[in-house]
Amino acid sequence: MTDAAEPLTTMEFHPQPQPGEAQPWAFPAPDRGTLPNGLTVLRCHRPGQQVVAVEVSLDAPLDTEPEGLDGVATIMARALSEGTDKRSAEEFAAELERCGATLDAHADHAGVRVSLEVPVSRLLKALGLLAEALRAPAFADSEIERLVRNRLDEIPHEMANPGRRAAKELYKQLFPAELRISRPRLGTEETVSRIDSAAVRAFFEAHVRPATATAVVVGDLAGVDVDAVLAETLGDWSGDSGAPRPVPAISGDDSGRVVIVDRPGAVQTQLLIGRVGADRHDRVWPAQVLGTYCLGGTLTSRLDRVLREEKGYTYGVRAFGQVLRSAADGAGASLLGISGSVDTPNTGPALDDLWKVLRTLAADGLTDAERDVAVQNLVGVAPLKYETAASVAGTLADQVEQHLPDDYQAQLYVRLAETGTVEATAAVVNAFPEGRLVTVLVGDAAQIEEPVRALGIGEVTVVSG
Amino acid sequence: MPMGHTATAQAGSGGLTATEHRLANGLRVVLSEDHLTPVAAVCLWYDVGSRHEVKGRTGLAHLFEHLMFQGSKQVSGNGHFELVQGAGGSLNGTTSFERTNYFETMPTHQLELALWLEADRMGSLLAALDEESMENQRDVVKNERRQRYDNVPYGTAFERLTALSYPEGHPYHHTPIGSMADLDAATLDDARAFFRTYYAPNNAVLSVVGDIDSARTLAWIEKYFGSISSHDGKQPPRDGSLPENIGRELREVIEEEVPARALMAAYRLPHDGTRECDAVDIALTILGGGESSRLHNRLVRRDQTAVAAGFGLLRLAGAPSLGWLDVKTSGGVEVPQIESAVDEELARFAEEGPTPEEMERAQAQLEREWLDRLSTVAGRADELCRYAVLFGDPQLALTAVDRVLGVTADEVRAIAKARLRPDNRAVLVYEPVSADPQAESAQDDQTDAEDGADQ
Repeated sequence: MTDAAEPLTTMEFHPQPQPGEAQPWAFPAPDRGTLPNGLTVLRCHRPGQQVVAVEVSLDAPLDTEPEGLDGVATIMARALSEGTDKRSAEEFAAELERCGATLDAHADHAGVRVSLEVPVSRLLKALGLLAEALRAPAFADSEIERLVRNRLDEIPHEMANPGRRAAKELYKQLFPAELRISRPRLGTEETVSRIDSAAVRAFFEAHVRPATATAVVVGDLAGVDVDAVLAETLGDWSGDSGAPRPVPAISGDDSGRVVIVDRPGAVQTQLLIGRVGADRHDRVWPAQVLGTYCLGGTLTSRLDRVLREEKGYTYGVRAFGQVLRSAADGAGASLLGISGSVDTPNTGPALDDLWKVLRTLAADGLTDAERDVAVQNLVGVAPLKYETAASVAGTLADQVEQHLPDDYQAQLYVRLAETGTVEATAAVVNAFPEGRLVTVLVGDAAQIEEPVRALGIGEVTVVSG
Repeated sequence: MPMGHTATAQAGSGGLTATEHRLANGLRVVLSEDHLTPVAAVCLWYDVGSRHEVKGRTGLAHLFEHLMFQGSKQVSGNGHFELVQGAGGSLNGTTSFERTNYFETMPTHQLELALWLEADRMGSLLAALDEESMENQRDVVKNERRQRYDNVPYGTAFERLTALSYPEGHPYHHTPIGSMADLDAATLDDARAFFRTYYAPNNAVLSVVGDIDSARTLAWIEKYFGSISSHDGKQPPRDGSLPENIGRELREVIEEEVPARALMAAYRLPHDGTRECDAVDIALTILGGGESSRLHNRLVRRDQTAVAAGFGLLRLAGAPSLGWLDVKTSGGVEVPQIESAVDEELARFAEEGPTPEEMERAQAQLEREWLDRLSTVAGRADELCRYAVLFGDPQLALTAVDRVLGVTADEVRAIAKARLRPDNRAVLVYEPVSADPQAESAQDDQTDAEDGADQ
């Protein structure tokens, strides 16, 4: 009933309840071993997780792609599931789906990752198919030609996406052109069109072998003889031994500047602000995770508190630290960034507010209350975040690729809990210094250029969309 | 405890069970225990979605969902988000045609907090709702619309196809995001009336799943929700029934700045909850779900006329479901070439039906998708609410996969023949305009920056 005079609240109110006693939870420790063929295997039993996740990490980072063939790692990764010595591409896809499985592969700066998910009842069959793909991919001319054409067709779609377009520009701005990391992960029209089956096979032969690969297997493995399953499948993959590979030095130019990628008529401006950050091995990492969360981890963080919840300029702006390459000696790099979309007329005011948030943070620091809530969230959500097999497997495989110990994530939670307000403040202020940020804006230059210029956050250039 | 009704647990698929309860004020409660991980999911479905909106106020249900995070009597401002996140929980809300859901996943020892928070806003939202929140969230939602639909290539395809598929005046004619004009027109009084009409315990289902003690959880629910009064202001949604088949092809050509030509279509399909809907799910999986599907094999692998080709199913209970075709063309390929190949494949399938191998593959894929949904406590809680709200029986969630596996090849062929026909679809064709395709050498890259999709 909608009587305007009715009291607004008629219920019985109770004080906010106090939490019960926390249950212990720890990030799972995997069992690490090596198969006779040299393949490293991490396994982890997660009761109740009926869909098993398998992640295979191949030591084939993008910087090993031959000159002028950017994208060959991606085409190789995709071609792994396009036929083997025993099955055509269509037959392989059909067999895999008959298992109720999904198989994805992608190439990134740290290496190639192949991800399998399958109900545990069909694990043996699906792992057999995965092993077949790694051991004897067909790389048929016709399939590679098709994948190359398909990849070329994808490029205009990615260019049209404001977020992807912004990222492409930021990497180009931040890193010198000769570094692989400055260029699109999946290659350009020019480089992709040069790729053929010979190039794919050569890349495969140079970089894919069990001795430099790691398989992570996570799920409810209670009823599975994992040793026998592995011996029959991935254990049957052979290859020579490989040498450890140094991570190339990464340098970047983060002098403060603004690049507008012109999109006439765009109703929003996609913003991506970034700079080069430290390797994940750096001791600052836990404090930086904490401080970055306080700056822009969620809609109650500093950025959204102003840009979204006070001003309504955006659906949400996030700050993040993303590992690009990580090396045991700390020579790797990460991307520290802030991203989101703001409506076109408010682009100038939104950036003005964003910079004010950074300046206020640098001047006054984080509060103890902010730090406490951030720790409680980051540490507290761990059991939720790692409920599924796929999430656990993904993190374990990331650690392997990033040359981190198997207990890194578990230790990270300990470090986060120990990190104080002062440390977190210092880390985030150093991560996002207002004068050393490269700002990429994908939007309508005619409308946003002047207001952005007026902010004085760096030289402004406009490039075509 | 003055509980109205308590059902006993019954066996379900995968050893999952759920118990049902009802408070005196009409709030339905579903509980399911699982002690493997120290987490608990709270999920609350209100039986209100965009289908309940009236002309001139599209988008109100979703805008209102945002307002539910702006504080209530005992929770200030963003307190709902702050308290849940500060307790190590995660949360969100979403709005669809048929319902609005709110959910928190908590470490077990913080479960009571989530119940207290949901009860506070169910009972006392209007004590905090003000003009400032309304204006702010109106702007946020308009930016959500721009980010997700207006500023993205093909971003308004869903809205356009929906409008074509359901006639003017039909409750599903417009999508939950609503129009900019209607978002601008919504008033604080509209929001208040919306709350008074739809946000009542007797118009909601609450599920709690995970590492819980059922008796204790039920006692908390009674304590926090039990005193909220029920009310009966809600009118049933306008009738969503339509003839089984459209009877002719509906068509719209869009000339826009998009990167490639595209053929999209929506087929009118059986309502969710029917055996025919499960059968058509299998048909669409065989035809357009994944890398061994008929359309992928034909268009992407063999003809090489498409970048991607697939089918999806939007299950709807209160109106015909939609079978969603999406094909992006390769290079300079023209739409008619794609369209005749699609029609050929659909006609062949309608005549011959699926092979036994195709049935096996599709059912295996759908089974895995279902296992994925049930692999988290939050996924289970959402499914229990879904079946309780839309079909009146949460237990149906536990046997859903068995029903999909029980469908026969004949049923799949029959439904494909009856429904997957050119005279039963709305078609949207995209033709790119202007563009200077040589903007600069095309490249791409990505970051895993998460866009703010919290609400």
